Amino acid sequence: MSDAAQGLLVSHDLTKRFGGLLAVDSLELEARRGEILGLIGPNGSGKTTFFNVVTGIYPASAGRVLFDGEDITNLSPQAICRAGIARTFQRSRLSLSLSIFDNLMIGNHLRLNQGLWFNLVRRQAFEREFEENVARARELVKVFAPPLADRMFEAVTGFPMIDRRRIEICRALISRPKLLLLDEPSAGMTREEMTELMDDILEIKEHVEDLTIIIIEHEMGVIERVTNNCVVLNFGQKICEGTYQGVAADRLVQEAYLGIE
Amino acid sequence: MRRARSLLASLLPGLVSAAGVTVYVILLMSVESQAGVVALLAAGVLAVLAAARFGAVARVARAFAEQENYLNLMVILAVLAVTGFFYEDHFVLLMVTTVIVYVIACLGLNLQFGYSGVLNFAGAAFFGIGCYTAAVLTMNTPVPHLVVLLAGGVMAAVIGSLLILPVLRTRSHYSAVVTIAFSLLFKIFLEVNDTLGGPQGLRVAGMNVLGWEFNDDIEIGEDFEAAFYVSYAVVGLILLVLAFALVRRLERSWIGLNMDAVRLDETAAACFGLSIVRWKITAFTLGNFLIGVAGAFYAMMIGFIAPTNFTFGDSLILVSIVLLGGMGNPWGLVVATVILIIVPEKLQAIQEYRFLLFAALVILILLFRPAGLLPRQLRTYLPGWQPR
Amino acid sequence: MDVGLFSQYVMNGLMLGMMYALVAVGFTLFFGVMDIINFSHGDVLTVGAFAGLATYLGLVEIGVSWPPAQVAIVLAVAIVCTAGLGAIVAKYLVLPLKDAPALNTLLLTLMLGTVLHEAIRLFYPLGANPQRFPSLLPTDAYTFGNFTLRIDNMMLLLAGTAVIVGIHLLINKTKLGLAIRAVAQDSETAKTMGINFTLIVLITFAIGSGLAAFAGILHGLYYSEINFAMGLLLGVIGFSSAIVGGLGNIYGAIIGGFLFAALQTIGVLAMPFASAYKDVFAFGVIILIMAWRPTGLIREKISERV
Repeated sequence: MSDAAQGLLVSHDLTKRFGGLLAVDSLELEARRGEILGLIGPNGSGKTTFFNVVTGIYPASAGRVLFDGEDITNLSPQAICRAGIARTFQRSRLSLSLSIFDNLMIGNHLRLNQGLWFNLVRRQAFEREFEENVARARELVKVFAPPLADRMFEAVTGFPMIDRRRIEICRALISRPKLLLLDEPSAGMTREEMTELMDDILEIKEHVEDLTIIIIEHEMGVIERVTNNCVVLNFGQKICEGTYQGVAADRLVQEAYLGIE
Repeated sequence: MRRARSLLASLLPGLVSAAGVTVYVILLMSVESQAGVVALLAAGVLAVLAAARFGAVARVARAFAEQENYLNLMVILAVLAVTGFFYEDHFVLLMVTTVIVYVIACLGLNLQFGYSGVLNFAGAAFFGIGCYTAAVLTMNTPVPHLVVLLAGGVMAAVIGSLLILPVLRTRSHYSAVVTIAFSLLFKIFLEVNDTLGGPQGLRVAGMNVLGWEFNDDIEIGEDFEAAFYVSYAVVGLILLVLAFALVRRLERSWIGLNMDAVRLDETAAACFGLSIVRWKITAFTLGNFLIGVAGAFYAMMIGFIAPTNFTFGDSLILVSIVLLGGMGNPWGLVVATVILIIVPEKLQAIQEYRFLLFAALVILILLFRPAGLLPRQLRTYLPGWQPR
Repeated sequence: MDVGLFSQYVMNGLMLGMMYALVAVGFTLFFGVMDIINFSHGDVLTVGAFAGLATYLGLVEIGVSWPPAQVAIVLAVAIVCTAGLGAIVAKYLVLPLKDAPALNTLLLTLMLGTVLHEAIRLFYPLGANPQRFPSLLPTDAYTFGNFTLRIDNMMLLLAGTAVIVGIHLLINKTKLGLAIRAVAQDSETAKTMGINFTLIVLITFAIGSGLAAFAGILHGLYYSEINFAMGLLLGVIGFSSAIVGGLGNIYGAIIGGFLFAALQTIGVLAMPFASAYKDVFAFGVIILIMAWRPTGLIREKISERV
């Protein structure tokens, strides 16, 4: 199988067990390069667990994850980040007491000089790197949330949910990942905010070339508008895949969501 | 000319407050009667409350943020002024130097759990390791005393590294119990171990740097004589400035950010490539080093050490200082140390009750002002830097 | 070593294990309902022991001299005191910090422990010195060769066992126990099922702290001496026992307590020359266990949600 023919992220027979519970069950999944893949399914169907296994937070019980042709199964979260996968979290996991800039720089960790000598002694060089990164961060924030660009040195606590989501997405994007995992970005938002968010996501696609996105979402409106393809999970298993229209018409999917026998 | 004037204007709140505090401390140290001490302390508390009420505290804080270098210098001069004023007074000078030593040790602790969230309830034990290292080296070897200071720090860091595995593998309450166990173990070990003097402890030689004998009073000319503690106060102050600068620079770099990230959310940090292990080890080791250096210096000044100086209760006092001052704020712990060391020394009535009072004070702080007396501000990477 | 001396060691170890187990059960109960560690627990034990001693002195003062009545009243007063103290701690110190970082609760309970034992040291008459604890139980003894079986020790062991069985029944067979288990399992769900969360937390803290008083009296009766600092060591070892047994697991805590006592006893038996290092050894073992199995030998359920 040649590299190009294969998806950017492929899982083979991926399984995650918690005690007796099969959270992810022999999952075969493929995210093609450059697409936005929607991951849907009822609560507890294993979507977030899948993200957690892919990003190395949980070890897989069985199966493999291939990223860009490399086997990344059970690597550390750090190594997986280095490979080019970045994510957001279901419940926002920004560091609220830090500034927007600080949070972005946590996302930018791998591109910063982390040497003790550099940071403590070579303050001139540090100053240059700092200025460069302020400019970079500002540029990125300007694209998705222009008003925030002038408030980068304020604590995140002071911002509403939609801005926090944007900051979180920027934090994931600043490392220039090849794959972005968005875990329920619309959670806790109003209708209008959700519309803005969808615009944001589509804008990311436009601005960042070659970016592949997997998005977990409960809001079907979001899925319908932004995704190219969908995978539906139930009890950790894939029950359906295809375009949103195709998936929405599927009987199994309706059963899973509505409980029709 | 204009610029000089505007500089002065921005410096003014800081200058006034630094001068005011200096005069206040000198007064407090000079007062002998207990009634006087109580009155002064009450006046001090009222003054601070009033200043906070009318926004003066905020103005001073802004002045310090904007004109850091000048005002840091002011604080150093203030300490020297107090030291100079009491140049003959052993009691006051010992107190000043003790405050300096505690601040250095707490700066180390601040790196550990103020920034990185690595709990250390064995601060007094690492301090003790520095002390015992100094005792053994100064009495049995000709090692130069500046090297002894370093050795104290290195020894604390090395013995601390024995705890690294359990500390790294555990979180919050679990790692708390590791350091508590070490703290208890250390004191019991010293008591039953005869080679290190047992319960009686050890003597430590006074500091001697390049022939400058610290334990001799300083005589200049015929009629000027200063207490030997002046030497310790000055060298202690130099050590403190170095430690403070180190901690500040760390905080204002990517490393400080990494430490915050590790403290606030390990999982998220790991997902962005931060090595949790690396930054925890850095913080734990550097912190213990500072605590050890403080210990070695203290031992040489005090001349005599025993296991009772290094109890779990003492470790809790170090933790209380960091908490009271405001986790992660180096200036906060300077203020907290001054309060926690000087007040019980001057107010004999509460000397006996100090452990009880400190503990109660920390409980109140945790319930009603968890960010401490001087809450930590957002990070400024470059002093005085403004986003354009 | 002859059988008699050996039996003496076993007896000692069992008593020690009983005390550790009782303390560990308290830790594990608190962790179960609130996911917190109450580091003041060891000092609550000290408070219980001193409350018992003060009660005894009071009883002598008013002329109650029949030992069974003395024992009953001393135990009752001590347990009621610490149970009340536990509930107060839960209500005014632990619950208000429910949503604060775990570190804050940890520090708060540590400081509370300091307040408690310092208060005893400063305000109990001559509190800085060790206090003699009266022997209230019959001291008849049967001698088998080198081994002396004392009635009072047997009674203490039996009483301890009875309390542990009682706790087991309370947790597993009563409605209250069911509510405690429900809160421990998932407090949110328990609340929606109509369980009064606050009340259950208060009761659990009262029970755990009452157990500590019982352990404190046990300590006093067995060693005939108590002091203001005794809680620290018992607290740390009790907590470590709870960890070894897997926090939140009551039976694990009991096993952990006896395991620690066994380790200490074996340590002393194996290295009589180093008996001064007995506690150094105990704390060293704690550190090693934490390095080897950071969440205990019996694993705690991990439930971090990402």
